[in-house]
Amino acid sequence: MLNYAASRIVQTVIVLLVISFIAFLLVANIGDPLAALLSADATVNERMELVARLGLDQPIGTRFLHFLTNLLQGDFGLSYRTQDPVAKLIIERMPATVELAFVSLLITIAIGVPAGIYCGVNPNSLFGRFIMLISTAGITLPNFVVGLLLIAVFSVQLGLLPSFGRGDVVKLGFWSTGLLSVSGWRAIILPAATLSTFQVAFIIRMLRTQLMEVGMSEHIRFARARGLSEARIWYVYAIKNTLLPVITMLGLQLGNIIAFSVVTENVFAWPGLGSLFLQSIQAADIPVIAIYLIFVGLVFMVINLVVELLYPLIDARVLRRQS
Amino acid sequence: MTSPLLDVRDLTVTINRDAGMVTALDKVSFHVNPGEVLGIVGESGAGKSITGAAIIDLLVPPLKRTGGTITLAGERLDTLSPKAMRAVRGGKIGFIFQDPMTSLNPVITIGRQLCDTIEAHLKIGGDRAKKKALEWIERVGLPNPDVQFKRYPHQLSGGMRQRIVIALALCANPALVIADEPTTALDVSVQAHILQLMRDLHRESRTSMMLITHDLGVIAKMADRVAVLYAGRVAEISLVGELFNAPKHPYTRGLIRATPMPSPDGNVRLDQIPGAMPGLGKTPPGCAFNPRCFKAEGDCCVTIPPLTARESAAFSCFHPLEKEVA
Repeated sequence: MLNYAASRIVQTVIVLLVISFIAFLLVANIGDPLAALLSADATVNERMELVARLGLDQPIGTRFLHFLTNLLQGDFGLSYRTQDPVAKLIIERMPATVELAFVSLLITIAIGVPAGIYCGVNPNSLFGRFIMLISTAGITLPNFVVGLLLIAVFSVQLGLLPSFGRGDVVKLGFWSTGLLSVSGWRAIILPAATLSTFQVAFIIRMLRTQLMEVGMSEHIRFARARGLSEARIWYVYAIKNTLLPVITMLGLQLGNIIAFSVVTENVFAWPGLGSLFLQSIQAADIPVIAIYLIFVGLVFMVINLVVELLYPLIDARVLRRQS
Repeated sequence: MTSPLLDVRDLTVTINRDAGMVTALDKVSFHVNPGEVLGIVGESGAGKSITGAAIIDLLVPPLKRTGGTITLAGERLDTLSPKAMRAVRGGKIGFIFQDPMTSLNPVITIGRQLCDTIEAHLKIGGDRAKKKALEWIERVGLPNPDVQFKRYPHQLSGGMRQRIVIALALCANPALVIADEPTTALDVSVQAHILQLMRDLHRESRTSMMLITHDLGVIAKMADRVAVLYAGRVAEISLVGELFNAPKHPYTRGLIRATPMPSPDGNVRLDQIPGAMPGLGKTPPGCAFNPRCFKAEGDCCVTIPPLTARESAAFSCFHPLEKEVA
């Protein structure tokens, strides 16, 4: 188990290094900082001096090392667009996105998992078929359409929920949370529901397929031949065999929402990372884009690491494959 | 004569296909006496496993039981509710599965699987169930029960897993055990160990057993009586010694002769039956064996020969073989 954990962590660090290097190449090669910083009539000497000061004459390995040490010390560089430190921009925006992602994950688990289990255990029941029909809509409708529909119904027609913003936020250190105020919760419902539409439908379909497959396996038949109750067979013996792919997918989806909920955040004017990313791309704000890239890598790798460390608790065979 | 423990009459199983109903098991009748081992033998596709699964209502759709009666110790099994059937499965009838690699749940410990089965049938729980599970692990010949209890199936070898499968089938003290090709998936040397274990356990408990196999060697070693199945029908039932020495049905003789056996002069005799067993739904009219039978006559191709009892044996053939004078 210790070996397994260590090897996963080493892998994670290696991947993060590779991502950082790519991000570094992006910053180092796109755009010309000299042209931006020097006046048009600068002399060759002034130019050389600046090159030396910025370390541009150093070999690429040294420059990458410098970039890394800065990262580790929390110096993420300056945004071209706003002249603010990139770290500040990201930290400002991160709580909104992370909270949105977790609330939508909660909705996904609360609705998707029970519905998926129901459909897997009773694939031919009327209600099961009905759920599958609805889930087809969830898979096929694009996020922005769902968002607009929800706004049209709940904000415009019924006037129940706000259609934009985060509501009132409370500062907890650097983290500004919207989950401590009523208006914050009201504001998060629609965007979170929008994001989880696809996830719910996806989890239902995956659980159903997995359960139906496991339900036909010999060991389930043997469990039946031993007279175990249907409840125990499905909710313990079968479910445990479907958990690996399910938590893998849930982890990936969580990463996806944190990193790429650009469209939904835009529809709901949600002040999160997605809209920051969009603005940065429009302004060709390379330092922000690069750090964002590293951040996204970090999010995926950490989630993936947590998921992989959960594997052996569910299926001990994972450890054997390792050795 | 004592009344049989298990009595199967006219058991019929059909497959519901697009083209209509196909008969997989056609009026199969046999019985198992208390303490007896009945071997069920036949080629692949003869309906051996279907017979076993039909008894505990574990047929996989589209297979469906459509006729006949099944009686266990006076209780009709074919009319039981699903809930009552669940108490029979594992509790009164234990079922040993064929492939130990796939029949144990890979993500649940051996101990948990045993305890769950014990708790489902015997009204004991917690520590007493665990104690009984440990006893069974020891009884099927695994060392260090405490260690095995916490292990997962993938940590055991094939032979050890099959021992656990046997423990799982027997741990609630069933009156009848149905063993469906219990050694087919194992190495030959492991096969012998498992057969010996089953024999020992059978001797200790005097549990009745239905042993399904295609291997006449296994039958010779284990069974008291044998039922030979061919194309979903019973060809012959008789005592094991009688069956090997004086088969009545030409198919039985063919089956015996198709097993490689050295003759006294040292040559290995191997005769094969011409042709192949008819597939599902392709059974010819009359006796299903008639296209391959050297004794077939006109009547064999018209009427299905009924199962006729003679002395301790029963066979379905119009022209039974006489005892060979070797």
